[in-house]
Amino acid sequence: MEKKKTNPNRSISYAKWGYIFITPFFIIYAIFTFYPQLLTIYNSFFENYRDGLTVIGPNWVGLDNYKALFTLNNSGYIPIFKFLGNTIWLWVIGAVPQFVIAMMLALFFTSTRLNIRGQQFFKTVIYMPNIIMASAFSMLFFTLFSMVGPVNQLLVASGVAAEPINFLGLQVSVQSLIALMNFLMWFGNTTILLMAGIQGIDESLFESARLDGSTSTQVFFNITMPLLMPIFIYVFITSMIGGVQMFDVPQILTNRSGTPNNTSTTLVMYLNTFLGISKNYGMAGAVSVLLFIITAILSTFVFKTINTNSK
Amino acid sequence: MKKLLSILLAVLMVFALVGCSGKTEPEPTEEGEGKVLNLWTWNVEFWGFLEKYYADETIDEYTLKKGDVTIKRTTYPSDGGAYQDALDAALLNQENAPADEKVDLFLAEADYIIKYTNSDATMDVKSIGVTDFSNTYKYTVEAASDANGVVKGVSFQCCPSALIYRRSIAKEVLGTDDPAEVQAALDSWEKFDEVAAVAKEKGYNMLATPLDSYRVFSNNTTSAWVVDGKLNIDSAIQAWMDQAETYMAEGYAKYPAGIWSEEKNSEMFKTGTSMCFFGPAWYFNFCMGNAMDEEKGCYGDWAICKGPQAHFWGGTWMLAATGTDNPTMVADIMNSFINDADLVSKLVSEESQFSNNQAVNAKFAADESYGNAFLGNQNDTAVFAELAKDIKFQNITPYDQLINESLQNAYSEFLSGTVDKETAIKNFKDKVVATYPNITVE
Repeated sequence: MEKKKTNPNRSISYAKWGYIFITPFFIIYAIFTFYPQLLTIYNSFFENYRDGLTVIGPNWVGLDNYKALFTLNNSGYIPIFKFLGNTIWLWVIGAVPQFVIAMMLALFFTSTRLNIRGQQFFKTVIYMPNIIMASAFSMLFFTLFSMVGPVNQLLVASGVAAEPINFLGLQVSVQSLIALMNFLMWFGNTTILLMAGIQGIDESLFESARLDGSTSTQVFFNITMPLLMPIFIYVFITSMIGGVQMFDVPQILTNRSGTPNNTSTTLVMYLNTFLGISKNYGMAGAVSVLLFIITAILSTFVFKTINTNSK
Repeated sequence: MKKLLSILLAVLMVFALVGCSGKTEPEPTEEGEGKVLNLWTWNVEFWGFLEKYYADETIDEYTLKKGDVTIKRTTYPSDGGAYQDALDAALLNQENAPADEKVDLFLAEADYIIKYTNSDATMDVKSIGVTDFSNTYKYTVEAASDANGVVKGVSFQCCPSALIYRRSIAKEVLGTDDPAEVQAALDSWEKFDEVAAVAKEKGYNMLATPLDSYRVFSNNTTSAWVVDGKLNIDSAIQAWMDQAETYMAEGYAKYPAGIWSEEKNSEMFKTGTSMCFFGPAWYFNFCMGNAMDEEKGCYGDWAICKGPQAHFWGGTWMLAATGTDNPTMVADIMNSFINDADLVSKLVSEESQFSNNQAVNAKFAADESYGNAFLGNQNDTAVFAELAKDIKFQNITPYDQLINESLQNAYSEFLSGTVDKETAIKNFKDKVVATYPNITVE
C-alpha cells in the first residue's frame, strides 16, 4: 500500500514477464522454422541439384520448377495432383474412424453416470501405440503381412485362404493397413485431447440438462459439441496438417515405392524422391511451398466452415 | 529490455560452451599421421574380415585397434541410395572436417563406383604405395580406375557369379547333380527354359523369383542405361523382362518378390522348391543363411556351375578418400587384402571368398583336396577362376544402382499382377525422372 502511495500513477504490470517468457520460443522459431521456410521458398526458384559429386547450380530459373511440377508425366497424369489425392484419401479413411472412436471414448471416460473404473489404465493403454516409433510400427506391419508372414501363415493354416494373400500388393489392403496404423497411433492422443476439452465444460450444465430430462443425444449435440468446438477444431486441424504431411508409415510399409501403382505415394514421399541421391533442392522446394499453400488453404477452409456452423 | 538482452546473451554463451566442448585436436602419431582411421561401409562383410585378419584388437561393434590407430566404422544401408547419400555429404564436407573425422577409406559397389573414381574425392592409390596389381584380376583394376586410367582403389574380392543349384532337386529334374552335366543341360537360355518346364512338371520352380536372373541379363548389355543423357533400355533388359513375364505366367518362378525378400530367402530352406539361384562367392555366406540353418537348412545340398551366361555381381572396392590423414594404413590395408598371400588364403579357405589374387586362387583351384563343404565339397574356386576370365566391366554409369532398383520395383508390380506391363514401365520411367533431373526420358 505504501508503494502505491509513493507512486500513484504506476500500477504493477506483469505483462512484460509474459513477453520475456515467450521470447525463447520466438527466437528458436525464427531461427529453426521461419528462416528455413523463407529459404525453402527462395530455393524453389533455383535449379540446384547434384549429378554424382558435382553440384549443378544454383541457377535462377524463375517458375520453371513449378511448371515442371504441373507437367504431365510419362504415365499421363500430373504427379502432384495424384499424390495429393492419395494423401487426402489416406488421411480421411484413417481420421474418420479415429474421430468417431475417440469421441465415443472421451464421452465414456468423462461421463459421471458411467464412472468407468480403471480409467488411468485404459488411458495409458490407448495412448501406448503412439509411443512406438512410426517406423518401427510400420516395419512390424510389413513383417506381419508379408507373403510369408504370420498373418498369411495363420490364414493358410486355418483354411481361410487357399494360398498366401499379397496384402502389400493390393490397393485395398495397403491403404487399409496405412489407415489402421494411423488410427491406432493417433486415436489415444485424440481421445485425451477431447477428454480435456469435455472436462473443461461446466459440470452444472450437464446436471441441469439431465434434471430437465434431456436425452444423452440431446446433451451431446446441444451442450457438449458446441462447447467443445474450439478444442475440436484444434484437434481436427492438427490432425489434418499431420495427415497432409503423412510420410513414415506408407514409406516404410511399401518399401519407399508407394505400391501398388503409386496409390499410396503421399506428397511428402514424392518430395523425398527429389531429396534422394540428386539432392534436387529446387524441385523439393517447389513441392514444399505447394504443400505449405495447400495446408494453409485447407486449414482456413476448415476453420471458417466449422466456426460459422457453430455460431 | 536490458533483462531481455542479458537472457539472450546467457543463452548464446551456453550455446557457445556446448559448441566448444566437442572439439579436440587430433594427436599425431610418430609418422605424423592420424590416430583414427574412418572406414565407411554399407554392411559388415568387409568389417568382419578386417576384424579377424587385420586388426589387433576389437574394442566394440564399431571400433577396432591396429597398433595405436583406432579404426572406426560408419555404416549406412545401401537400399534406396542411403549409403551414397550419406557418403556424398561426408565427402563434400571432407575439407572442413577435423582430421579425425575425415573419411579415410570407403567401400563402393560396381553399380556406382564410377561416380567416385571419376571425382576428386578419391586419390591415386599408387601415390600412397599401392603399386602391385600383378596378381589382381584386370577388371577389378579397370573398375577402380578413372577415365584417364588412374587407379583409385582396389577390391578384395573378385565376383564372377555362378548358377547355384540344389543338388537334390537337380537329381530329380535332370537325373544328375554333377556340375559338368548340369552345366551342359543349362548352358543357354533356351535350354534353361526347357528345363524350367520339366521342373514345373515335377513340382519344382526353376527360380524363386524372376528377379534372380536380372543380373545375368543386365551384365550382358550392349549399351549403357544412359546414353547422351537419355534413358536407354537395352535389348538384354528387354529380354529379361520377357523372361520374367513368361516365368511368372508359366509358374517357372515362385514369387514375384525382390531379390532380398523374405519370400525368396525362405526358398533356401530344405522345404524350398526352387532349383536355381545366381550369385558370386560372397552370396553363400551373405545371403544363404537359411540354407545353412542347422535345423531347417540344407547345407551341402548345393553346387555351382556357369549357367546360361557369364556375369558378375557386385564386388566391393576400397577407395582412398582424398584428404585422408592415414595414407600409410590405407595403403597397408589395400596391399594386405590383395597381396598378402597368407591373409588372402584365409579369405578363401575360411570365408569361402573368391579372392582378388590370381596366384592364391590358382593354388586352391589346383588343390584336389580342397572343397567347399556347403557345396558338397565341390571346388568352387576352380569354377570361379574359370568364370573370372569372362568378366567384362562395361556399359557402366553412375546411375545404375537406383535405375536397376527402380526397374525391379516397378516391374515386380507387373509380375505380381497389380498393374499391366505398360503401366509398370511408365512408372519406372517416372521414377527415374524424379530421381535424376539430368536424365531425359522419351
